[in-house]
Amino acid sequence: MEKIKKVGVRLAGMVRSSMQLRMGLIFFALVLLVVIFAPSLAPFDPYDLGDDLLVPPGTNGHWLGTTNMGQDVLSMIIYGSRASLAIGIVSALISGVIGTLLGAFAGFYGGKVDKVVSEIINIFLMIPTFFLILIIVALFGSSMINVMLVIGLTSWPSNARMMRVQAMSIKERTFVKSAISMGETKRQVLFKYIIPNGLFPIIANTTMGVAKAILTEASLSFLGLGDPNVISWGQMIYEGKQYLATGWWMSTFAGLFIMLIVMIFYMIGDGLNFALNPKMKKI
Amino acid sequence: MPDAVKAPVIKAVGVKRYYKQRGGSLLSFGRKPRMIQAVDGVDFELYEGEIFGVIGESGCGKSTLGRLLIRLEEPSEGDIYFRGESSKALMKKDPKKFHRMVQAVFQNPFDTFTPNDTIGEIMMRPLRLHGIGKSDEERRAMCEKALEDGGLKPAADFLGRFPHELSGGQLQRISILRSMLLEPLFLVADEPVSMLDVSVRAEIIHMLQDLCASRRTAIMLISHDIAVVRYVSQRVAVMYLGRIVEMGDTDTIIQNPMHPYTQALISNCSSIDPDEDKQAIEIQGEPPSPINPGPGCYFANRCFKACEKCFKSYPPMRTMKDGRVVSCHFATGDE
Repeated sequence: MEKIKKVGVRLAGMVRSSMQLRMGLIFFALVLLVVIFAPSLAPFDPYDLGDDLLVPPGTNGHWLGTTNMGQDVLSMIIYGSRASLAIGIVSALISGVIGTLLGAFAGFYGGKVDKVVSEIINIFLMIPTFFLILIIVALFGSSMINVMLVIGLTSWPSNARMMRVQAMSIKERTFVKSAISMGETKRQVLFKYIIPNGLFPIIANTTMGVAKAILTEASLSFLGLGDPNVISWGQMIYEGKQYLATGWWMSTFAGLFIMLIVMIFYMIGDGLNFALNPKMKKI
Repeated sequence: MPDAVKAPVIKAVGVKRYYKQRGGSLLSFGRKPRMIQAVDGVDFELYEGEIFGVIGESGCGKSTLGRLLIRLEEPSEGDIYFRGESSKALMKKDPKKFHRMVQAVFQNPFDTFTPNDTIGEIMMRPLRLHGIGKSDEERRAMCEKALEDGGLKPAADFLGRFPHELSGGQLQRISILRSMLLEPLFLVADEPVSMLDVSVRAEIIHMLQDLCASRRTAIMLISHDIAVVRYVSQRVAVMYLGRIVEMGDTDTIIQNPMHPYTQALISNCSSIDPDEDKQAIEIQGEPPSPINPGPGCYFANRCFKACEKCFKSYPPMRTMKDGRVVSCHFATGDE
């Protein structure tokens, strides 16, 4: 109990120390509310094909206009936040977990393990990731789960590199030596001492990873490789692009919201980076 | 030696630790990598309830020796026997049992504990690891008792705190208490007071002495502070460049050092008596490189007594009349 309280105090201090982090978290809370209450917030059913086809914003209660099929753009954006957020968070988590584990293994065990993992990391960094994603989605279909997996499985190297360096420096510290001399096994040292103490930069990086994943998903959808059965913002831009001349509102608003959410996650990530770095703290 | 009849708790036989030299140019390709001798053949014995001091200058291998004893590193050659059992065999067979027998206290108390855990979790961890105590409540009670006995009151309050909320002296006491919870045979204290304020050094030293006396734990105190070693340890070893040059009863050695290096070391030690007439022996130069230090005595190039013989062969360890061992050509035992 005491521990939870103290961690809470520490988190509160972190939030207070960075304006960016605070703003990011407030906006993120708003987005989260939209995601949860989408059904009651949306004025129309986004899948409902209404009679107003491609009407401009403001007509007949369609605040942001309708699509060529008569769907309400605002409702689509509200529901689309679910897909974008889910893809962003899940794929960033996948990349965070894989990156942390592989990086920590490499950094802690060193030697041959390190060499092999480092080479794998280098290979993944060399691959033009987006084209790999394109090929995989084209080959295995573009369901939402595939998209999440593919983004997660290709974006872990930056996390792994970071964690590797963390593990390499933490394993030299006295508390690791004292844990070993106390009788902890290597695996216990890795999971109880190295990873928890080296995780903070990875958390900041993963938050930024959410933004990147949302962008990647939007790019995929824009190229027509998103999940066609799910409304997502990228999908909306893709469908709206042929109507840009006659119905600019279809793509534009979805694009704006992508920008917004990416900014929110960058703010959180950057703010966390700042709050967790003691050197950058104000005196 | 008070317990000379008894079997030693620890017996180190020809312990050596080499490191491969890193890097090297392209030209050295194919050549044998050069070895750095951090610990170069150390033999000693330690008895129950004894504090054994190890002194020497920076880089002489005393900390490496400590790490070898607690098996953070493996000796390149030689072995250490705990109650007659080879540590190599023991580590293979039952590493937990080994770690329970041998504990360590480190130099930097601020970094000895993981910053994310409370003192309670930190202290209960070794008990849980080794299956001591039936329940967490019982373990907690044991930790509380240990803290109270160690003078950290109220114990319950300390258990809920985080390491960064405590002072260096408190942390170092907790470090010692935690090691002692496992009731080890042997404790390595590697510069346990060098990072602490002078005002709390005495407390820590007394704590080690008390524990040593009450639990009969053998303690190896590694330090470059001769005063501390002189104050607590019954026997002392002086190391120079990976080897023990002189070893014996602390008082005999400090009062009447035989090896020129020990003489220089002790003559340069400040005295509390301003009138004491003491001539500090100056030694020039650096210790030779630990890579292939050559056939002669390692100290020869800095020694004020050195003669031709010293550069040709390394002096053997000789036991003197008063029980000490010295490795110097000039210490003949007739003095």
